[in-house]
Amino acid sequence: MSLHALFMALAHSPLGHAMQASKWDFAIVEMVHLLALAVLGGSVLVIDLRLLGVILKGESARDIGRDLGRLLLGSLTVMVLSGIALLSEEAGKCYYSPAFRCKMALLAAAILFYFTLHHRALIHTGSAKPNLWCRLAAAVSLLLWLGVGIAGRVIGLL
Amino acid sequence: MKSPSALLLALALSLSAVPAYAHHSFAAEFDGAKPVRLVGKITRVEWTNPHTYFYLDVVDAQGKVTNWSVEGASPGALSRRGWKREDLKIGGKVIVEGYRAKNGSNLADGRLVTLPDGRKVYGGSPGDGGPGDDGTDHGSLPGTSK
Amino acid sequence: MPLLQHLCQLLYDSAFGTMIRESNNAFPIIESIHVLSITLLFGTIAILDLRMLGLVLRPIPLTRVARAVLPLTWSGFAVSFVSGFLLFWAEAAKNYSNPAFRAKLILLVLAGLNPLIFHTTIYRRVHQWESLHISPWRARAAAIASLSLWSGVIIAGRAIAYF
Repeated sequence: MSLHALFMALAHSPLGHAMQASKWDFAIVEMVHLLALAVLGGSVLVIDLRLLGVILKGESARDIGRDLGRLLLGSLTVMVLSGIALLSEEAGKCYYSPAFRCKMALLAAAILFYFTLHHRALIHTGSAKPNLWCRLAAAVSLLLWLGVGIAGRVIGLL
Repeated sequence: MKSPSALLLALALSLSAVPAYAHHSFAAEFDGAKPVRLVGKITRVEWTNPHTYFYLDVVDAQGKVTNWSVEGASPGALSRRGWKREDLKIGGKVIVEGYRAKNGSNLADGRLVTLPDGRKVYGGSPGDGGPGDDGTDHGSLPGTSK
Repeated sequence: MPLLQHLCQLLYDSAFGTMIRESNNAFPIIESIHVLSITLLFGTIAILDLRMLGLVLRPIPLTRVARAVLPLTWSGFAVSFVSGFLLFWAEAAKNYSNPAFRAKLILLVLAGLNPLIFHTTIYRRVHQWESLHISPWRARAAAIASLSLWSGVIIAGRAIAYF
């Protein structure tokens, strides 16, 4: 099935029809997406500012990463699920939107980065001050997630 | 029952209140089964974020005047499609081909708009699922300028 | 016309307000900053609230989490406030009669009163309980109020477009 056909299938699914028919259903899903965005952003900020060595310097970056990582992944899951529902309401527009494609690329990069180099950086830093590479990892993480957020806004503006 | 013109007037006046603009796809707000072709003189332009609106007086065969509102994208999005606020001159003649709001009010989306200077511009968004949508921002309705 | 409505109309009609409202890029940019600032404002205070509820960062004393997080929250509030005020300036006359906007302001005031009460009461004795994994019930009540009120502000803010 081509990508376009997949998007069209989503638009014509029961979820798609429900989201397109009711303006308040869409609004509620948007609100959930926004609240999860705030929580995701907050957890990314605290984890990465520790990895940068700016806050909670006496605490273990590894432990903070593991602890707040649950919040990060939980809110990310909510974002993906609500995002799919939002997508089903405007699948065609998103398919053709360069901003949407950009957002998905950045999201994939952010998630991949999180589970690989970012994870290693947190473990490597432990309770100590982060070295240059770990701080670079934190900066890359912050930029990738910020990029996802900005691209998401641009979808609606183009 | 009130006279039809009074009812239409009431509808038109109620439209000068805040129109619904929090939709995201054509299907959510407009009805693909209710095409409209409006010809009239522009009475008002709201070149505002998040959505632009212009209003036109449509005179029917009996001479009754109905005021319609036409919803468009944001000023930024329209300017990227080649529209300028000045293109919508008050009193200028405009032709709007679009679809009526689902709730039956005198609100339409301007899918194909013939401006007072004769240019035809496409009013949909790429991929919004409405008629003429081919994924581009100039659409595939006949006569649209690129 | 009531005085408040008149003031809103003045702001709306002003050259500055009109400029933002009719802009190609200024409005979208200001609005995007406003929306993304909720991560700095709500995302960070949520972590402090969740610590009080004993759901995150239990080994770290509350005061340490607060010291790390509150400067971020305040920065988020500053950005939200400035961007929000500019959006209000552009839309003032429309916002005046918008029930979602009114609800948002009321919830905002309550969201501001909550920490005021918290800091002048139970938080005065924080050194007695800062290391507890789960904070005392008054602190937990403040945390739940904070999460609810700020969520309400965000929800009402999104609803503005639907009225």
